[in-house]
Amino acid sequence: MPAVSMTVNGKAVTGDVEARTLLVQFLRENLRLTGTHVGCDTSQCGACVVHIDGIAAKSCTTLALQCEGAKVTTIEGLAEPNGPLHPMQEAFRENHGLQCGFCTPGMIMAALDIVRRRGNDLDEHTIREQLDGNICRCTGYHNIVKAIAAGAKAMAKGGARQAAE
Amino acid sequence: MSATGIGAAVRRKEDLRFITGKGKYTDDVVRPGETRAVFVRSPHAHAKINSIDVSAARKMPGVVDVLTGKDLATDKIGNLICGWMIHSKDGTPMKMAPHPALAADKVCHVGDAVAVVIAETQAQARDAAEKVKVDYQVMPAVVDPGKAKSGPQVHDVAPKNTIYEWSLGDAKAVDAAFVLAKHVTKLDIVNNRLVPNAIEPRVALAEYDAGTDQLTLWNTTQNPHVSRLVIAAFVGMAPEHKLRVIAPDVGGGFGSKIFIYPEEVVCLWAARKVGRPVKWTADRSESFVTDAHGRDHVTHAELALDASGKMLAMRVKTIANLGAYMSTFSSSVPTYLYATLLSGQYDIPQIYCEVDAVYTNTVPVDAYRGAGRPEATFVVERLVEVAARQMDIDPADLRKRNFIKRQ
Repeated sequence: MPAVSMTVNGKAVTGDVEARTLLVQFLRENLRLTGTHVGCDTSQCGACVVHIDGIAAKSCTTLALQCEGAKVTTIEGLAEPNGPLHPMQEAFRENHGLQCGFCTPGMIMAALDIVRRRGNDLDEHTIREQLDGNICRCTGYHNIVKAIAAGAKAMAKGGARQAAE
Repeated sequence: MSATGIGAAVRRKEDLRFITGKGKYTDDVVRPGETRAVFVRSPHAHAKINSIDVSAARKMPGVVDVLTGKDLATDKIGNLICGWMIHSKDGTPMKMAPHPALAADKVCHVGDAVAVVIAETQAQARDAAEKVKVDYQVMPAVVDPGKAKSGPQVHDVAPKNTIYEWSLGDAKAVDAAFVLAKHVTKLDIVNNRLVPNAIEPRVALAEYDAGTDQLTLWNTTQNPHVSRLVIAAFVGMAPEHKLRVIAPDVGGGFGSKIFIYPEEVVCLWAARKVGRPVKWTADRSESFVTDAHGRDHVTHAELALDASGKMLAMRVKTIANLGAYMSTFSSSVPTYLYATLLSGQYDIPQIYCEVDAVYTNTVPVDAYRGAGRPEATFVVERLVEVAARQMDIDPADLRKRNFIKRQ
């Protein structure tokens, strides 16, 4: 079985994987980071979104071996350990942007990528369009959009810790 | 307005773990020595099972065991049930066909499980499942509820695929009211089948403690107490005090995670058989053919009104497609949860509703997000909209004229 080495949430990790092992399986099963979820088998739902070298990617459609030497950030890597939450995380809580919570890690990771590409002043139309790769079955999206707009603004107010580089 | 009194905004307590990725959904639970289960499912809507050859699958790397419907029957595991009795107009009870957790004689819908592979890893279980050889004899199938009564018979206990022919209301009084009507609106509508698709797929993780003869099930269930009752008392897996059902964080259900499914029954039975925890996690394609679907009604509805648009009576005839097997609460959804709601918020003196429930070779149908009430709302509000246009009355006015008035 080939070995793979990468950095996940700032820590160097190594594991034995099959060629067909998906990144999401490596994260969940090898590293026990279960915050990244599997919701579909067609790459549509977005519950698996992580950041690879600073860019949002669907970990269900990425092979673990493709991430050899890469820097991966998952939902667990956003807040400082024992520290404050990331403003985008706080925004989801403040704006009731979640119900069952299953799509939420993917939504938050995707939201950070929207901010990276479109800035901190996001209008509703932009957010809705850019969330095309994330599905929620509980909320009807309304409060997710509010949360992302609020989180993006809060990130601009300084002290914002962007997804780890 | 105080911080904690009436009117104060209260933050949810559970959000912290969800926004930090520290939720504990069933697939996140890992038990020591855990094995993984993958089901072998029918690609046919209706077929006899001539034979199942598991010999090649058993030899695959990492395989702990491969079990079939025959093994389940030998171990005398009981069938799944529909728990809500409905009687037909003639007084006969609903025709509930046997529903074993693994099909042994024939399969009745695409996705019907016939075997389960237990292996060390998910990948090994999937590889081995592909090596299970099932000899099917494909039979004609019926999927359209409108054609069910004249289609191939799905179950011996239900001639014309009819589960029950139920009614509510006074047919004679309704007929008399229709005679007096100045206007009758007639409508044929379909409330199409849908797939619930909670973003978290279903998961069952079962563990057996031989030292205490205790079974534990972690399950994506909306109602662990109901699950425990049904699996203990009706499926007969264990006495209730020897079965613990745990619902950890659940990623949406909308009804689809209410029911007791074959997968949790099989995982419990397999865990006790192989002596190791057994975990099954659905993939999305599997969810489409195993999670109970919603709706699937074909309805003819009529509304009788007087010259001023006052509703006099309604009569409704619905064919409800319950699918290949009766799911846990399926019988109640198109009857007591549907017909009793046909009045909407209108003062309609007489309503008569007939519901025929049928079997077809489709995924079982049960309660979904509203469970019968959205179906009823759709019928009455469509009747109102069409009646308004036919009578050239503003739809809002027509509604106001018929609202239930304060006494």
